[in-house]
Amino acid sequence: MHINYKLQDRFDLAIFIPMIILVIFGLLAIYSSTYNHPTASGNFQKQLVFAIVAIIAFFITFSLPQQLFKSFAIPVFFASLFFLLAVLVIGKTIYGAKSWFGIGGFGFQPSELAKLGTILMLAYWLTYKNRDINNLLDIGVALAIGFVPIMLIMLEPDMGTSIVFAIITISLIFWSGISLFGLFVVLSPGFVVFASLFGVYAFTAALLLIVAALFFFKRDLFNSVTVFIINLSAGFFFDYAFKILKPHQQKRIASFLDPSADPLGSGYNALQAKVAIGSGGFFGKGYLHGNQTQLRYIPEQWTDFIYCVIGEEFGFIGSVLIITLFLIIFLRLFKLSATAKDKFSVLIIIGVLTLLFSHFAINVGMNLGITPVIGLPLPFLSYGGSSLLINMVMLGIVMNIYRNRKLHT
Amino acid sequence: MDDNYFGSYFRRRIVFIFMIGFSAVSITQLFNMQILEQPSYSEKSDENSVKPIYQTAPRGVFFDRNHKVLVGNKPSFTLRITPSTYDKKLTPYIEAILGTSPGYIDRILKQNESYSKFIPRRIAKDVSFKVIAWYEENSSKLHGVDYIMETQRDYSFGIIGSHMFGYTKEIPMETYLHRKNEYDIGDNIGFGGIEKTYEDYLRGDKGIKYMLVDSKQKTIGRYKNGEEDQTTVKGDDLILTIDKDAQSVAEEAFKDKRGAVVAIEPSTGEIIAFLSAPQYDLQDFAKVTTNEVWRDLNNNPDKPMFNRASMSTFAPGSTFKMISAIAALEEGIIDTNFKVTCGGGYQFGDRYFKCLHVHGTVNVQTSIEKSCNTFYYTLVNKIGLDLWSKYAKKFGFGSKSRIDIPEEAAGIVPSNDYYNKVYGKNGWTKGFVISLGIGQGELNVTPLQLAQYAALFANSGKSARPHFLKGYTDTRTNQYVEVKPQTYDIGISKKSFDIVRRAMYLVVNGAGTATNIKSDELQISGKTGTAQNPHGKEHALFIGFAPYNNPKIAIAVLVENAGFGSTIAAPIARDIIKAYLIKGNKEGNKNLAASTNIQEERIAH
Repeated sequence: MHINYKLQDRFDLAIFIPMIILVIFGLLAIYSSTYNHPTASGNFQKQLVFAIVAIIAFFITFSLPQQLFKSFAIPVFFASLFFLLAVLVIGKTIYGAKSWFGIGGFGFQPSELAKLGTILMLAYWLTYKNRDINNLLDIGVALAIGFVPIMLIMLEPDMGTSIVFAIITISLIFWSGISLFGLFVVLSPGFVVFASLFGVYAFTAALLLIVAALFFFKRDLFNSVTVFIINLSAGFFFDYAFKILKPHQQKRIASFLDPSADPLGSGYNALQAKVAIGSGGFFGKGYLHGNQTQLRYIPEQWTDFIYCVIGEEFGFIGSVLIITLFLIIFLRLFKLSATAKDKFSVLIIIGVLTLLFSHFAINVGMNLGITPVIGLPLPFLSYGGSSLLINMVMLGIVMNIYRNRKLHT
Repeated sequence: MDDNYFGSYFRRRIVFIFMIGFSAVSITQLFNMQILEQPSYSEKSDENSVKPIYQTAPRGVFFDRNHKVLVGNKPSFTLRITPSTYDKKLTPYIEAILGTSPGYIDRILKQNESYSKFIPRRIAKDVSFKVIAWYEENSSKLHGVDYIMETQRDYSFGIIGSHMFGYTKEIPMETYLHRKNEYDIGDNIGFGGIEKTYEDYLRGDKGIKYMLVDSKQKTIGRYKNGEEDQTTVKGDDLILTIDKDAQSVAEEAFKDKRGAVVAIEPSTGEIIAFLSAPQYDLQDFAKVTTNEVWRDLNNNPDKPMFNRASMSTFAPGSTFKMISAIAALEEGIIDTNFKVTCGGGYQFGDRYFKCLHVHGTVNVQTSIEKSCNTFYYTLVNKIGLDLWSKYAKKFGFGSKSRIDIPEEAAGIVPSNDYYNKVYGKNGWTKGFVISLGIGQGELNVTPLQLAQYAALFANSGKSARPHFLKGYTDTRTNQYVEVKPQTYDIGISKKSFDIVRRAMYLVVNGAGTATNIKSDELQISGKTGTAQNPHGKEHALFIGFAPYNNPKIAIAVLVENAGFGSTIAAPIARDIIKAYLIKGNKEGNKNLAASTNIQEERIAH
């Protein structure tokens, strides 16, 4: 077998080939779940167009000069914040969330752009000059960069995407070399806010725990008091923010916290998804022959439940193949993060890896019934143009870093 | 430092273990499900698939203001065909038992071809019990055919009310695409009228029964013994402002006529009667509406589908004279001493505007009582177009009343800008304005606006947005929720109103144009009118209110092509007023008589 080493040196086929195979599987599964559907039968053609556009965008990103991405960080981040604000005012409501702009027959989801913006901005901020990630102020700004889009996306409300943003923010701070005390400062307000949702007693108990931990760390008085005040105000601020939310938004947060509440009948969907995958067996029921899929037991299967189409029609072989392809991409990104020479590039790669992995884990986990039902698309496979485009652009950036990896000293 | 700072061994190991670990857990779970437990999942999928059966909720019922039923529900059978298992050889037998023309089933199946073959299609609604009995006897041979029980609108409560009630029909594709979360293909949705405006109250919540079905969609039991089922919640019942007696008198009077009636409770804006004649049969829409029914309705020269009561516009004739009177009084242009001598018409430039009689000397009250045109030609010329249109707009003309049904026209009140736009800056003369004084010319109003105008006279400038909904019973909480009227005041002095109201009283009870409906019991005040009709005989108009001293009802009656207002329109108005005010209850009659006595005294002063 002849391998073009020159090509591999500049273009990482170990990322590109699995990505293309995943997109093709996605198209096959979308076709199977929509081709005789009364209202969604056009989705295959639409996704095909999206895929072509996304591949073009991938190659454009790949060939741009690398220095450009650093200068993109601020404009892309603030543009995405602007779109996130705008969508709350003029967005279209789809499935109860105001997260779309309608342009002609197509829609655009600004939270997808915000993923790119937030990763670029965090990487930019965390590597700017001599940033000390264990300095309280620097941690605070880094958290704020993640926190603003999270709040805006929670208002849509899109809980799944908010969670992904939180994971990205924390993992990039984590990767920047935060100390145990720093990690405590980062995670404790989230803990207090979460506790405050369960009433005054839980809130007080959480604050007492924080005080105990502060004694354990034995920091100076100023630092300890500051951390305590941050926690206290996070609790109060969240309480205030919760009250100004509209009743239906409050209800959504409440039902998200209470796993026994099942407002959208998601338990039914999850059960049907499991039946579809389990009944697929080793070889699957054959393409276009899965009765769970073809009899439309799972509503909107082409979005968040696309994995069970593959599970049912391509069986264990197909399902494991999909996981393997993802794992190849993840391990490859992981390896690149060690070879990239500058800190900015490393954080970008880790951000992309975290984003793709958290989508993958939450979505596959939900389909297999091992994580709660949280609506997130499966990267490269689920129907949806914005998500496909941004995912490909992000891998394009990573490939760009790969192409230029030897140019740095 | 770099390596230590960035990818420390510890951090890298955590992330690596996490990725490999999750993949391993997922593959283990896949192995469990697809290989170890595959037989049990397969069984579930092939034989025990859970299928949600949606049950339509009965729509909310309409009651009148005295809680008498206006529109109800009745159970009915719907026959369905599921194309994936249907054998076309059965078609002739089914068509024969349904009594439809050959090709009927093919046509309906073709109409819905784009839907999944697994979704059942409604072939016939409201089928007779004979068909169901035949189906039960032969069901083993009738693959792909089934029937369901649904509820259907029941219109057998004595009144028709087609234009205000509106009808329900299967949801059209475009609407469905926007409201996928709430509706399914084949669901009914309100079309027009109250059914449309209050759709969200009326439709209720669909029930879901989770059934276990085999791969051929045959039901074999209930999923989890019905634990996860959702019960149907009936739609909210609406208490309408309509008075069934008054509405029924109106419908009776218009059986062989074309026209419209709107009656309003002046202080609250509650609509007591609302009629557009001729009406159409709402029952026709309750079935699968055939193309013939549509064609007949659309081609009928009497336009039964057109809502005349709130959408037909015409020049209101003499009923509009009070606008000029009230504007002139309120602006201090005239007082009760102002007099005009009517010699049978009015010379303006080189045009002569005619009056119907030679009225001699008339003041503002006698001009309304006798309907003298000369007085108003003179008056509108004094007031000028700007003030005149300002006052017409104050009374709600030229804009929609925001009544709670979707069908409504705004009409036109001409102004300087309007004439400039239509005829160009110098293309029109003051002569155009003269005819506006007697409600002719380019003025367009609806019967609904005229009724609201009458209500404003009845209550001296204070009224409320006209509406049909008095309240509703929230099915979930079982509580009655009252709808508060949205009141407003047009800000004209009681003094001006008193003068004009007195004149309107004299139209019926003095020596005026509608003395034929004089009634001591009802104390009606009003004004007749004749609306010019460019297409044929003039339309008769009457607007009024009663009782004079403490008005409980204001009304506008339009009878198309009936000539002069007092002979045909006024008696209809009187009968409707009577049906509303006098309820066969002697106590009530006495009270009414007592209050009219007081009025007599006041008028005498």
